[in-house]
Amino acid sequence: MTSYRRKQRIEKIARYVVLAIVVFITLFPLVIVLSSSFKNESELFDFPFKFIPAKPITDNFTRLKENFPLYIWNSVKLTFVIVIVQLFTAATGAYVFTKLHWKGRDFIFGLYIASMMIPMQAVMIPQFLIIRSINLYDTHMSLVLLGAFTAFGTFLIKQFFMSIPDTYCEAARIDGAKEWTIFSTLMLPMSKAVLVTQIIFSFRYFWNDFFTPLIYITTPQLKTLPLGMTDFVREQYVYWGPQMAAALISIVPVLLIFLFGQKYFVQGVASSGIKG
Amino acid sequence: MSHSLKRTGTILSFLLPSFIGFIIFVLLPMIMAFGLSFTNYSGGPNFRFIGMKNYVVAFTNPEFLKYLWVTFKFMTVTVVFQIGLGLAFALILARDFRGCSFFRGALYLPNILSSVAVGLAFMFIFEPTSGFMNQFLISVGLPTSKWLAGSKSALSVIITIAIWQNFGYYMVLFIGGLQNISMTLYEAAGIDGANKWKQFVHVTLPGLSPMLFYGVTIAVIRGFQVFDYIYIMTGGQQGGGPAGSTNVLAFDIYLNAFTYFRFGYASAESVVLMIIILAMTFLQSHGQKKWVSYDIV
Repeated sequence: MTSYRRKQRIEKIARYVVLAIVVFITLFPLVIVLSSSFKNESELFDFPFKFIPAKPITDNFTRLKENFPLYIWNSVKLTFVIVIVQLFTAATGAYVFTKLHWKGRDFIFGLYIASMMIPMQAVMIPQFLIIRSINLYDTHMSLVLLGAFTAFGTFLIKQFFMSIPDTYCEAARIDGAKEWTIFSTLMLPMSKAVLVTQIIFSFRYFWNDFFTPLIYITTPQLKTLPLGMTDFVREQYVYWGPQMAAALISIVPVLLIFLFGQKYFVQGVASSGIKG
Repeated sequence: MSHSLKRTGTILSFLLPSFIGFIIFVLLPMIMAFGLSFTNYSGGPNFRFIGMKNYVVAFTNPEFLKYLWVTFKFMTVTVVFQIGLGLAFALILARDFRGCSFFRGALYLPNILSSVAVGLAFMFIFEPTSGFMNQFLISVGLPTSKWLAGSKSALSVIITIAIWQNFGYYMVLFIGGLQNISMTLYEAAGIDGANKWKQFVHVTLPGLSPMLFYGVTIAVIRGFQVFDYIYIMTGGQQGGGPAGSTNVLAFDIYLNAFTYFRFGYASAESVVLMIIILAMTFLQSHGQKKWVSYDIV
């Protein structure tokens, strides 16, 4: 018995040691970004690495003040609009695929699901040509339109709607309620948890999205934060300090949402794997 | 009649918000990509149908075959390690213990960050002259490397970063799967005298297999599409890494389309990518019947 206990104890300690090492590896790059944002150019590459800078400075941030307030504003504005639009298209889609009955319903939903397998690169060239032909190249509107449809979001909310019994809707229909009334006053309030999950996932996606703005935005005043952050990379000399400061700015909002809403992230990941 | 018309109107009012986007930005582009791949379209008004030429040019071009090979390498290594590490840490963290949600959160954290921020951070760490990694290696007496600037090392660095950022996602996915396996199955196996390893093989793996299958499918699809890291860390607009060593298919499509405006050729490449991904997905969902069990949980 005692040897069994000892073995368990060793196992427990080994587990914490392994986890501590891996957590160190996953978090260390973030610590470097945080610390380097406040370091002087001359101190940046000092080794051994010092977490607290000898002389903490904020110059790296002030050097961003020319362009970055605009980049941040563009990202905030666009992310906000796209999150709302996605929420609307995903929720209405989820409703029409669960609570309304019509011919071809499952076929069309099957197409939505299949589209999740289509690589972005396979559609990006025609998408670009379509956007260009309706004169929306280099506009924020192009990003909103391209972000409007979400197969994942529709699937996520549909999974939840399916768990709400049809009898609620039937009862409301008998009372003479219109479908839009049922949708907005009955279904949506009951689905807050999944709607929050959807909001968090689309927030994270568009706040971080680099590829779409890279293709569609060329005017500097229209750039989003992730696109603007690469300004430094193309130049001959890399300004590491401001670059780390910019990275820090882009990380903080997502990090805050993660700290307060970790369970929604977990729910989103877990329910994406449910067979439906 | 007017009643059923009204009904149709209601259905459409719910369907169209998502359906219009799906038609214009997914279905139509997919069909157009096929069409374009048989032309020499380069953005201007004059272009013509050139049959299979783009495909012939691609597959007889050693460069294109090299990009395909780099893509396969990236996909294979990232899938193996992301799924392997994801599974290992899911097994460690699935049961509740003191601090488990901190560890879950910390390992998942990199996954929520933008690829740009991650790219910038690692460019700094792997800076080839006096970056942290090289100074660390010097301090313990090991040889340094050019990392992202070296034609032999660049791809490995990017693969490592991709694994670092993504294994937590699969871990969370698998933790969900493991927690769905009923404890009574383990108890029953224990009573039957199955040891830990046998329980793992006969209860855990079959119970987790639907989630494993889903995870592998997703990881393969994402692996084939890697782009952001390559663009950000190895050279931007003209890039593809030292000696083209990190030029993956998705990046070459981007270059041909948006730097050289060879829309026809790039479309052919994108069709090849799509066919590879669909074939892999098809093979996997065909093969899953042999190892995935949906009845155990």
